[in-house]
Amino acid sequence: MTPSALASIDIGSTYTKGALFALEAGAFRLLSRAETPTTADNLAVGFGRVREKLGPGGRGPEDFPVYLSSSARGGLKIAALGLTADLTLSIARMAAYSAGGKIVRTYSYELAADEIAGLEALQPDIILFTGGTDGGNSAVVLRNAELLGRSSTAAFILYAGNAKVRDRVLALLDGKAAAATDNVMPEVGTIQIEPAREVIRKIFLKRIVDGKGLSTVVRETGRDPWPTPLAVFELVRRIGASQPGWSDFGLVDMGGATTDFYSHTEAFTGGDSVLLRGLHEPLLKRTVEGDLGLRVSAAALWESERAYLTSRLAAAGRSIEDFDAYIHRVSAQPESRPEGGAERAYDEMMAAACVRAAALRHAGTLSRVYTPQGGFHVQRGKDLRRITRLIGTGGYLSRTENAAILLEACAPGQADADSQPLLPVSPAAYADEGYLFPLLANLAGDYPDAAARTAVGGLRVLKG
Amino acid sequence: MNPQNIVLGVIGADCHSVGNKILDAYFSEAGFHVTNLGVMVSQEEFIDAAVETDAAAILVSSLYGHGEIDCEGLRAKCIERGLDRILLYVGGNLVVGKTPYEEVEKKFLDMGFNRVFRPQVDLAEVVKMLKADIAAASRP
Repeated sequence: MTPSALASIDIGSTYTKGALFALEAGAFRLLSRAETPTTADNLAVGFGRVREKLGPGGRGPEDFPVYLSSSARGGLKIAALGLTADLTLSIARMAAYSAGGKIVRTYSYELAADEIAGLEALQPDIILFTGGTDGGNSAVVLRNAELLGRSSTAAFILYAGNAKVRDRVLALLDGKAAAATDNVMPEVGTIQIEPAREVIRKIFLKRIVDGKGLSTVVRETGRDPWPTPLAVFELVRRIGASQPGWSDFGLVDMGGATTDFYSHTEAFTGGDSVLLRGLHEPLLKRTVEGDLGLRVSAAALWESERAYLTSRLAAAGRSIEDFDAYIHRVSAQPESRPEGGAERAYDEMMAAACVRAAALRHAGTLSRVYTPQGGFHVQRGKDLRRITRLIGTGGYLSRTENAAILLEACAPGQADADSQPLLPVSPAAYADEGYLFPLLANLAGDYPDAAARTAVGGLRVLKG
Repeated sequence: MNPQNIVLGVIGADCHSVGNKILDAYFSEAGFHVTNLGVMVSQEEFIDAAVETDAAAILVSSLYGHGEIDCEGLRAKCIERGLDRILLYVGGNLVVGKTPYEEVEKKFLDMGFNRVFRPQVDLAEVVKMLKADIAAASRP
């Protein structure tokens, strides 16, 4: 039986947000919303407050079922280990991101003594350990297994490398929390990240639910929490698969600390004179940029995107010193809101810089190559040119009125005639009005079509 | 290294794909596990693939006459990346013009290739050589 009302609650690192929906005619209607600061010591307290505000008196699943996600404790921290940077490590990164993780460090080749020490100090939730094709490299893989086995790391070690030495790797990891799954790259260039994603999700539940009151929440709701970005990833997949006109779209989720870029579009469509080099990237891809954000990462953004921001400041006739002071202030006080025209302009420039850089890093490139057989184009990475719609979400982009910020994703990266970034060309721009995506995403598991329809139906069109 | 695993590809800005497919089919038929990188392959891509697959040999094709520039430094890069025992084969129209084959062969042997082939070769012979070379290289 379909319940008359459903709640969705997202326990974020700063705020616990929730919404109560009614399911009507294949879509969700918003009944009420609530938000409270996350209670980091005991997540169940903030969760209980939000649930109480959503439907007073609603205690158990008999009143309304509650779906939940969590990115508390800074999300799911993953250290990715591969053999070569462009092959297994690159695919390990894709797997970690598409499982909703946050990559805290990457390693390639044999782990050095200082890298082991760094890994021990870093304390990630998961070490995603890859390397070698099936039947390929085993020497480096086994050596790394030995080093990890002897280390003091308490992280869960997920082995997804050369399957032929899986048993020996697990034996070397004896005594550690460890598991093995299918190789992320069974053959050179073949990407197989779904099995690793599924295991990462299960590890997340086991490790995140323990402690901080989340186990109480799970007991009361009878449901497991999802990592917030994984829930959004699945919602993006459902929108692309089920909503007419939405087969090629992008989603930019910009926050205080990171900017996430999701694309749902075929990575390579070929053509007679276009050759793909490097990996054939997946239809659905997520990248996370830890140095692009409006508050916690403001100083990192100013550092990474200084050239762009400097030219924007000059064009607007604003002083670099004042901007620099603003960056210092918002980094130190992440909760601060802009006051006055100058500060609003700063936030707008920073948001545009985040969107632009996240898009450029997510997108592939097309280079012109001259050969004795004539001119060819070589594509590397993912082609985003077919994207027809672009959505902005997160606190800032869900409220903006300005399409130009989101359309920075289409700005040319450089003036190199022989190499161009494969960015969206002229997509329609939308805002996730009400910042509902993370909450609808929690419902996408059980109600995929309704969640996708509601997410798309609730968008606000941004005029260019 | 894994004696079955070999890496194959056409180096540089060279788009000749027919011979590459024939080589892939022939060596696979002969019992090798072929990682075929196709056309327009860079040195780095050959090496990355050889590292991941623990390959015994890299087979480089070049048909468009720029083989010398494209292949220069491949051996040194292999050594730098830990592939200190890998076999390097090269074949095709390796240089432009009518340079005698012996000169071409010497040039590529000096560059660190183990075997250098003319445009026309008996692939059965190549397979025999490759198996013998791999067996020799595998001995401690």
